[in-house]
Amino acid sequence: MTLLGRIVAPFVILVLALFGGMMGARAGDRSAVDPIRDWYRLTLELVRHTPTYSPPVASRAFAYLGVTAFEALATGDDRLVTLAGQLSGLEPPPSRGGGPAYDDPVLVQAAMAEVVRDLFANTGPTGQRAIAAFEKKLRARAADGIDAETVARSEAYGRAIAAHILAWSRTDGGAVVQNMGFPATYRPREAPGAWVPTSLVAQQQAPLLPGWGSNRTFAMPDGSTCGTPAPPAYSEEPGSAFYREAAEVHRTVLDLTPEQRAIARFWSDDPMLSPTPPGHWISIALRVLEDDGADAARTAETLALLGVGLADAFIGCWHAKFEYDLIRPVTYIRRVIDPKWEPILNTPPFPEYPSGHSTQSGAAAAVLAGLFGEDRAFEDATHVDDGLPARTYPNFRAAAEEAALSRLYGGIHFRSAIERGLEQGRCIGAYVTALRTRK
Amino acid sequence: MTSPRIRSIPPLLAAAALIWAVPALAGEAVAVPRFVEETATAGIDTIYAGEWEFMVGGGTAVFDCDGDRRADVFVAGGAGTAALFRNASAVGGPLRFERLQSGLEVEGVSGAWPLDVDGDGIQDVVLLRVGENLVMRGTGGCRFERANEGWGFDGGDAWSTAFAATWERGLAWPTLAVGNYIDRNEEAFPWGSCTDNWLHRPAAAGARRFAAPLPLVPSYCALSILFTDWNRSGVPGLRVSNDREYYKGGQEQLWRLPPGEAPVLYGPSEGWKPLKIWGMGIAAYDLDSDGYPEYFLTSMADNKLQALADPGAVGGPPPVFADVAFARGVTAHRPYVGDTVKPSTAWHAQFEDVNNDGRADLFVVKGNVAEMPDFAAEDPNNLLLQKPDGTFLEAGDTAGVASTAIGRGGALADFNLDGRLDMLVVNRWRSAQLWRSAEPLPGRWLQLELRQPGPNRDAIGAWIEIRTGERVQRREVTVGGGHASGQAGWRHFGLGEASSAELRVLWPDGEAGDWQRLEADGFYIVERGRPAIAWTPG
Repeated sequence: MTLLGRIVAPFVILVLALFGGMMGARAGDRSAVDPIRDWYRLTLELVRHTPTYSPPVASRAFAYLGVTAFEALATGDDRLVTLAGQLSGLEPPPSRGGGPAYDDPVLVQAAMAEVVRDLFANTGPTGQRAIAAFEKKLRARAADGIDAETVARSEAYGRAIAAHILAWSRTDGGAVVQNMGFPATYRPREAPGAWVPTSLVAQQQAPLLPGWGSNRTFAMPDGSTCGTPAPPAYSEEPGSAFYREAAEVHRTVLDLTPEQRAIARFWSDDPMLSPTPPGHWISIALRVLEDDGADAARTAETLALLGVGLADAFIGCWHAKFEYDLIRPVTYIRRVIDPKWEPILNTPPFPEYPSGHSTQSGAAAAVLAGLFGEDRAFEDATHVDDGLPARTYPNFRAAAEEAALSRLYGGIHFRSAIERGLEQGRCIGAYVTALRTRK
Repeated sequence: MTSPRIRSIPPLLAAAALIWAVPALAGEAVAVPRFVEETATAGIDTIYAGEWEFMVGGGTAVFDCDGDRRADVFVAGGAGTAALFRNASAVGGPLRFERLQSGLEVEGVSGAWPLDVDGDGIQDVVLLRVGENLVMRGTGGCRFERANEGWGFDGGDAWSTAFAATWERGLAWPTLAVGNYIDRNEEAFPWGSCTDNWLHRPAAAGARRFAAPLPLVPSYCALSILFTDWNRSGVPGLRVSNDREYYKGGQEQLWRLPPGEAPVLYGPSEGWKPLKIWGMGIAAYDLDSDGYPEYFLTSMADNKLQALADPGAVGGPPPVFADVAFARGVTAHRPYVGDTVKPSTAWHAQFEDVNNDGRADLFVVKGNVAEMPDFAAEDPNNLLLQKPDGTFLEAGDTAGVASTAIGRGGALADFNLDGRLDMLVVNRWRSAQLWRSAEPLPGRWLQLELRQPGPNRDAIGAWIEIRTGERVQRREVTVGGGHASGQAGWRHFGLGEASSAELRVLWPDGEAGDWQRLEADGFYIVERGRPAIAWTPG
């Protein structure tokens, strides 16, 4: 039947890229950049399809995956400086020793396969099947033309690096996520400005991951390091700062321009329907790296630092969210201003202040600007497969500010959460850019 | 075929053993039926087998294949062989089935729906498969033969997972909709590979064969579809529930099917709002007696119950639905037995009145996809009893049907013709299970079988109205929905304490039959233009 087998064009492109000519520009040139990029592409999809992978959980996975790739290369590249001793709790990885040579593509492939399999051990049968298929094909491709002894030695070393990173990951407080991150019971604080559930989903009558802010951080000392000032005091008085911010959200949504609506949708990055906000920034980084023809070391360095920045951003943001425990716009506006008001985005099921997307975008932009420059323009095609056209930005900061404002357009955040979130992210990003990765 | 006989059934008496579940408010007690599992002795032992390509599906077709008006049972076997079982249960007695050689012993079957395609009075069966779909013509006596070629049905070669049928106005042959899932050949990267759903319309007006299937583009990995007259326009739309696990840019869908024209999706300009869930099953019923069906959509974690947001809108309701699952207490998002806090995975759903109190209850089959550790492994099926205030009370455990096998399809049907609905569940990797509703219920009941002349003999698309006092129960006669499972035969209504009820049928072409009074606790053949005829099982 001619109807069968219709595959959407982006999918075809991706499959061809993965198993055909993705590295066409480097045809015949074996590089560890290939397994890094390929495993990241699969990881972006696994994040979307693994139900525990809310944005904080996704950011954690990106951090460990990036550090794995970087450490696997750093042990054999004199230009690079290990992150051991710089990231909280990370001990020096096993050394390669001074013996026979290792093959970087093979060992990086093996290390990343191990970490992806572990971090996504809870993904569904389709994800498991995809991981196995990827590993089989990427392993064969990495080992092509390499003698069996070198392959075996390199794979064993890659697995040792992975085991080292995974052992480190187990003690950070974020390794176990139950009930998709929602506590079985939760009693909201009894105060007029306190967060209350906004969803008709029974599971979301408790907030997502209330303890995430206590997790071990990567580059900054702890979750409180880049704390935010308090939001405007809760008030229902029309002249108050709080009321004015709510009125701005209310009016903005009612008067949305097509461009504002497009921005809200573009940065919506809903869990289970997208690679999540941290995955969005990983996607941006992969694009920039590809445009630059970045080598394996540069790719791993970028993904490690960005992952660390995103992960710390979510820890810091969550720490502040549950410190201030603030009401969402939809609750306040319906209570005080307009009972029938509807935001255009689904209100996330956790306290409002500060904005998670703002914090993590602020951090991501700081990290990427540190690597690629303050004025690096780029195209963001993260959601083309889902029918959202690519957008272009003059620099990372502009993208972060747009991502942050998208939450106002979407009706899910007040302005203070957006602006203080960006500031918090920049503060967290500074800890990441202070890390030393090169001699 | 058994001759109809006039009969009189004395009212059932409430048994002292009957359980009454009493919610917080006085006067809201609901009767909990007591089921007895008879899997071991009933004779149905088919397993829905297979690995990844059979992680969805696992259905049953419940229909009378031998003309005795008992519900016989076909069970999909997945990678194994499907089987048909003849109902040999005595009236009111234990459930007994006998395996038959029927011609339906086919491998690769995911779901099955009975449908009298050719209007000859014998149910045919549509078999959805991982591979070529089959239409199997019933030849009588529970025998079936392949009819793809004879009826011009192109069965394709897909991973087919959802089915619905209707008779479009003025046509002599049904229109079939087949929902397809992902491209099963994509091992490494199946996401975004949803294959087209198909609309098999008649070849031409008056033709008794199908045209080449029309692709329903875009398609988003449907796991349940249903032709339903959601706005009571007289022209059913096609509701499609899609699995967000695999689509890109997708959502739930509602198609408009103008007669003789290409299907058109409802969109934002009509008010349609995107909903993105792990859509797996659809159950429809007019729960609030406003004349419009509500739709229960199964998913993972929270399930949805959709009601029209503005049923009284001037010019007819827009396709805007509000989720009332939380308010009605049917999110069914977590197991209600055991101590796990992990979310549930729901598949087949069906509204029926299992306690005969005059209010439709909700049956939901649950089961982990395979071994997904973040979702409940011990995930009991739900039996949610509707209370007088319209909310629902979980009674799966107290009713004795809280199976934690890995369920998929299912059916509620009166297998032993005693007026009480029994239960069948198809399980992945384990035998199907059967429960008999074993104790008398205080409520009374009616069961109806519609007949009309012409090709749509079973009056698919009709609405049945049952009036007791001020209250009218309504249900649409449909083929489709659920998860991989379909039924034909008796349509059951509980009547509560009423000793009789008034019946009216709104036939598929819109003609309203006369109201006629029927005594409670009886089976009736309702033929268009004629008084209902009581039928006595024997």
